[in-house]
Amino acid sequence: MHLHYIKLIARQEWNAIFRGRNTRILYFSLLAVSLLAMITGWQYVGKFNRQQATAHQQVYDQWMSQPDRHPHRVAHYGYLVFREKSPLSFFDFGLDSYVGNAVFLEAHRQNTINLSEASFSNGMLRFGELSMALVLQLLVPLLIIFIGFPTIAGLKQNGVLKILLCQRASYFDLLVGKTAGLTAAIWILFLPLILISLFVGSFFLSGKIGVDNTLRILIIVSSYAVYFLSIVLLVVGVSAVSRSAKQALMALVFGWILFIIIIPKSAQTLGSRLYEAPNKIAFEQAIEAEMSQQGDSHNPNDPHFAQLKADLLKKYGVDSVQALPLNYGAFVMKESETITSTLFNKHFDRLIGTYRSQNAVSTAFGFADPFLAIRNLSMNLSGTDFDSFTAFQQQTERYRYEKSQRLNEIHLTQIQYRNDSQQKVGADHWQRMPDFTFQPLSIAANLSAAGISLAALVCWVLAGFGALYYISTKRHFQL
Amino acid sequence: MKRYRSVLLLELRNFLRSKTVQMGTIGVLAFAFYSFLHANQVIDQQEQTITSVPSVQKNHLQQVVTHGTGKVAGTTAYYPFFYTVNPPAPWARFALGQRDIYPYTLKVKMLAIEGQLYDSELTNPLTLLAGNLDAAFVFLFLLPLLIIALTYNVISEEQETGVWNILHTSTTHVGQTVAGKLLVRLGVLLLLTFAVFTAACLSLQLPFTGPTFQLLLVVLIYVLFWFTMAALIVSFGKRSSFNATALICVWIFLTILLPGIATIVVSSSVPVPEASETAIRQREGYHAKWDQPKKATMEKFYAVYPQYRHYPIPDHTFSPGWYYAMQFSGDLDSKHASEQLFEKLSQRQSLSETMSWFNPVIAAQQALNKVANTDLESHVRYLQSVKAHHRQIREYFYPHIFEDTPTEHLDWAGYPPYQPVGYVSEFPAAGILAILGWSFACLALAFVLFKRNFLTIKNLSHD
Repeated sequence: MHLHYIKLIARQEWNAIFRGRNTRILYFSLLAVSLLAMITGWQYVGKFNRQQATAHQQVYDQWMSQPDRHPHRVAHYGYLVFREKSPLSFFDFGLDSYVGNAVFLEAHRQNTINLSEASFSNGMLRFGELSMALVLQLLVPLLIIFIGFPTIAGLKQNGVLKILLCQRASYFDLLVGKTAGLTAAIWILFLPLILISLFVGSFFLSGKIGVDNTLRILIIVSSYAVYFLSIVLLVVGVSAVSRSAKQALMALVFGWILFIIIIPKSAQTLGSRLYEAPNKIAFEQAIEAEMSQQGDSHNPNDPHFAQLKADLLKKYGVDSVQALPLNYGAFVMKESETITSTLFNKHFDRLIGTYRSQNAVSTAFGFADPFLAIRNLSMNLSGTDFDSFTAFQQQTERYRYEKSQRLNEIHLTQIQYRNDSQQKVGADHWQRMPDFTFQPLSIAANLSAAGISLAALVCWVLAGFGALYYISTKRHFQL
Repeated sequence: MKRYRSVLLLELRNFLRSKTVQMGTIGVLAFAFYSFLHANQVIDQQEQTITSVPSVQKNHLQQVVTHGTGKVAGTTAYYPFFYTVNPPAPWARFALGQRDIYPYTLKVKMLAIEGQLYDSELTNPLTLLAGNLDAAFVFLFLLPLLIIALTYNVISEEQETGVWNILHTSTTHVGQTVAGKLLVRLGVLLLLTFAVFTAACLSLQLPFTGPTFQLLLVVLIYVLFWFTMAALIVSFGKRSSFNATALICVWIFLTILLPGIATIVVSSSVPVPEASETAIRQREGYHAKWDQPKKATMEKFYAVYPQYRHYPIPDHTFSPGWYYAMQFSGDLDSKHASEQLFEKLSQRQSLSETMSWFNPVIAAQQALNKVANTDLESHVRYLQSVKAHHRQIREYFYPHIFEDTPTEHLDWAGYPPYQPVGYVSEFPAAGILAILGWSFACLALAFVLFKRNFLTIKNLSHD
């Protein structure tokens, strides 16, 4: 390795790139597209979040202005929670359009999170949405291909490579120099753009830039830097093993299609074949079947609740539920809520586990496809990934459970069993209850989920340099 | 003429021998078979689920009746779910469209409908993002790439290897030769399309009826469009690498960028806050009635169902008739928001139909989904049918609720059965016209450019 020559070659490559007219045309069209993507994404997320905030405010006001009511009425009045998009979601939409945006929380029932963008869209959504991440993940690699495909193969075709290799620089120096020049150019063209867009965009969306967001932005930018580097290595490598520039271009374009369309789709369908998830009916049936074994409060002859009643009567030394010092109806509901909620969580966690296994297939394919690795990493850090959505589901369910049990507690202690439905409780009881606020996943949690994807990207870079070294030792790749 | 035919045959043989043709064809075929497998699995699972619905419904009702024995119908009526199903059309296997997103086994209670209509199916969102792998995908995305790979160097390769100059000096029929080369490729591509389509028909078990031929028509015209597009780029007379780059750029522009922008434009220019609003209004509309005088609620109900007016509704205690009238009021209060929501959905549909005039890829996708009944319109039809079924059920049970029929004396399974929407056949004329229009435009332009870039050079050299 001769650092001097590597620098020289890198500088020469850099100059060649910036002299090219095609580069300028391609770069400025990409720049225009990414700015368009950023601005539309930013507007869209802002508008959407305002819409959700308005809906939330309305529901909150309605909750607070409820008159005196029976606590079980309030439990069924329930609460609506609206999901807001994360401050970095304008950069990478991730799963946002495919997950629900609103959920109705009520007693005894775990409703699905509904009203996803996808459920109100026609098939056009399936082409993908234009976000800045899409431009960076799909189109920048294509730009690298279009700029870089002749970088070595072209030298072979016009015979310059032989002359170069007769000088003191080794073939490896040449390959590394070309890689360095191309990478430096791509980094200068795109990394500042990502950095500025992310800071400006998230500042205007959330009004502040916290430590958490700053860290996320820095990691996103470095991940894309590594991703671009791995693509450059691939392009230089393929160019070096190709006999002609045209052959290199065809191979690279074919590889690009493989990486961005064929592998991601195949990996995910493979995942869902390997780990079959139950559909909604099967999921609900399984819970119902288990509930009738554990205790179904709607079944008047249920043994679990019969036993519970007997124990309770014995404990207070009375012979009828009317004589109990607490409201027996509420007692049953409270117990039933615990049973159904535990059961639901058990099945739901299993379902999430199945989904995770399905997604792990795609994650593992990150080692075969750098696009999959950066896609997962970018989604994770932007807070538009599977885990962030699952956290929302779990937090709303916990909130639902706690709210229902609080209301059952009020019912249990403040409503007499006799003439139960005729009584009411002061509105201040529910006005004191805390509102739902979503706690986003910590950056550490996101990063640990994205660890494998990060490792995959690093592997791509190491393997890339290894491949360049291997190519440089083979004589037939120099001809 | 005979010589021309033998030249064509030679060209065909040469063409079929090239590695790109063989590898490309094998690649597309392999992927097509995987897509058939996948689409069959997705639809088989959905059909299996749909088949399980009647027994689930029966058991569920039996359990509800057993638990409710001794109580009046109005009390028991709170519990049962009534399932509806949206069975896939046979052509859904060809174009899965949005079937993996939209729910297809919605269940409703006799409570207010608006809160129950938008329940989602349980799915892995990452699977939805990765998208479906079906025959439509192979035809829409992959086949154009094969067309590009087979045509981008049709003339430029000859120029780069020097054959073109020899040809120029040895024949006066350059135009014929170019046409011959292009026709050979078009012929092979159409044949391949036809073969893949036939394989799709067989392995997806598409019936040999109108819609299948509509799908074939869309696919063939779509192939024609990409072929004319490739011819147009070739007619510029540039080098192979320019042709390849330009065609890939066109492909990306039409299949990724333009639809990606269009999607954002649609979802942000026609937002649907009505979805949340419907949920909020329905919930408030129903619950507020508990704290209001019963008479007002009942009057709203009687306005639609005057036949129940003579049943007494006690003023100070709970009664089932009043309860279901409150639920009904919840729907009345959210009716406007709900209608607006459906209006917005049809706006979204027409906006994307407008956009498909500007993009043959979107046009082809919308046309295939329309024929397969896997688009938004089909889903809206399903939602309307669920609403209609909900009404039938309410109206079946209302008399028993007001009569206070004991649970065990009522035939709980006797309600009018749910009628699935059934296949709606609509010829995708607009989509086909859009693709055809683009094809003709490309062809005409290509013809002019061919004349200028390839044929007049020869005349110049004569001068």
